[in-house]
Amino acid sequence: MPSEERKKEILQKLYDAVVNMDEDAAKEWSQTALNEDVNSYEAVTKGLAAGMGKVGELYTNLEYFVPELLLCADALYAGLEILRPHIKVDKVEVKKQIILGTVEGDIHDIGKNLVKVMFEAAGWIVHDLGADVQLHRFVEEQKRINADLIGLSALMTTSMLAIPKAIEMLRADDPATAVIVGGAPLTLEIARSYGADGYAKSAGEAVKEAIRIVNLKK
Amino acid sequence: MTERERVEALLKRQKPDRVPILPFASAIGFSGLYNKLSIAEAYNSPEKTLAAQRKTARDFGWAIIPFFSYASFGGWEFGGDIKWPSSEFSQAPMITRRPLETADDVWKLKKPDLTTAGIIPLQIKFYQLSFKDDLDNEPFNIIAFVGGPVTLAANLCGIDNLGKWSIKNKEVVHHLLRITTEHSIELASYLKSLFGTDRVLPFCGEATTDNRIISPKFFEQFALPYNKELQEAMLSMGFRHLFCHICGEQNANLPYWAKIPMGDPGIISIGHEIPLSKAAQYFPSDIIMGNLEPAIIQAKTAEEVYKATRTVVEEGMKITGGYIFSPGCDVPPLSPVDNMKAMTKAVNDYGWYK
Repeated sequence: MPSEERKKEILQKLYDAVVNMDEDAAKEWSQTALNEDVNSYEAVTKGLAAGMGKVGELYTNLEYFVPELLLCADALYAGLEILRPHIKVDKVEVKKQIILGTVEGDIHDIGKNLVKVMFEAAGWIVHDLGADVQLHRFVEEQKRINADLIGLSALMTTSMLAIPKAIEMLRADDPATAVIVGGAPLTLEIARSYGADGYAKSAGEAVKEAIRIVNLKK
Repeated sequence: MTERERVEALLKRQKPDRVPILPFASAIGFSGLYNKLSIAEAYNSPEKTLAAQRKTARDFGWAIIPFFSYASFGGWEFGGDIKWPSSEFSQAPMITRRPLETADDVWKLKKPDLTTAGIIPLQIKFYQLSFKDDLDNEPFNIIAFVGGPVTLAANLCGIDNLGKWSIKNKEVVHHLLRITTEHSIELASYLKSLFGTDRVLPFCGEATTDNRIISPKFFEQFALPYNKELQEAMLSMGFRHLFCHICGEQNANLPYWAKIPMGDPGIISIGHEIPLSKAAQYFPSDIIMGNLEPAIIQAKTAEEVYKATRTVVEEGMKITGGYIFSPGCDVPPLSPVDNMKAMTKAVNDYGWYK
């Protein structure tokens, strides 16, 4: 076991690697964490994921943009790949789950992918259906998974019209289904008129809004 | 005045009697559906979409500059694949396979043959058809799609790759932008050789440089020099006016856009995210065009569209350098006809200059 001071240093290096978009450093310090017996769960949550949380803030504050976010995500995943297999599960932990996808008629997936990164960094299990997703697939996946939340994305004003239809189909199957929506043409007002439980203006705000929705649904 | 005379007056730096109505990109998808075409035909049938655009403009009383292109331009033209829109929720052609996947692919990239590449032969056919007529609501025969270097590059390799390379591999981004800029200049030159410059309005601008995606620093470093080179080249070819669409949220890029020549005057089309008054400050010598939010036309009631249009028009009329009313981007194809009528009526009711 490393000293408290050394552990703190390793966690800080992991955090910095993500914030500084440094994939090599993320790998190096993840391996160091393993070699020096830092608890892998702590290395992920207090190092890598905490760094990604900071990245979300920087993105929301317009200090980082999509390219920076993507490179930070690469560093995050590089570290996760090393640390995840070593996370010891002491008790049965129930993680929150989200089904994500860009709706039918729309292949734009960069916003959806950024949202995926933020949810994964926050410890959610993400079921990513991809882009141009036929609406019935959201319903089928929800029947299979019974996720806490469905996330629907659209970048075009026309494909945005698939969102209320998807919500209608999901609620016909289970009226309690919780839905969060996002994408350039959407606004909070439009999201509400479509029957969504919540709306996130950017990837940086999505997890916070998701937690609010899920807590309300309890 | 006719709608054509209104736009022509602005191009001569004169005041028209009323704000002209010139829907962005000739409302290509809406015009298609309004005339019972499929959404795919609006984008791939030159004869049908030209007739549809012209009939729609005539029915509603708009000016029109016939338009035939799509936002994903480049993906197919440089060797990738596209899918024509088919689902009820599809708005435009989509790229299904990009021509570039890795940085190595960029170094091997060649410019396509303009006579055979992707949609270009169909565009030439469309332009030839449009040049057969000289109508009283068409200030130009065609708006000739040339494209912005950064958006074209993003269509080739994906914005994710382009964005990452812009930080970790700048040389590859500059190489790609060199190719897309040269392609756009050659395309403009090719169009000039076929159709001259007087009745052609080149269409350039950028969508990928939205500040929800990239930083103003990226714009300064990568978009500014190549867009400047492209637009200077087109002006030196003899095109007097350029149409530049500054798509989406680009407020932080405006100081850089303002360094790029737009013509004498240029037409600057802006999205609803940029206030008209702010655009006018940055482009005091150009005509500002915009900027009703497209989602309003699709999602709100006719009364709400009328009210929102009135607000936009009254703001636009304060611009001294010239103003054209338009939605801030493409009209959603499924926009209700009553909403389009309400939009038009509001300009007719409130758009008259004293």
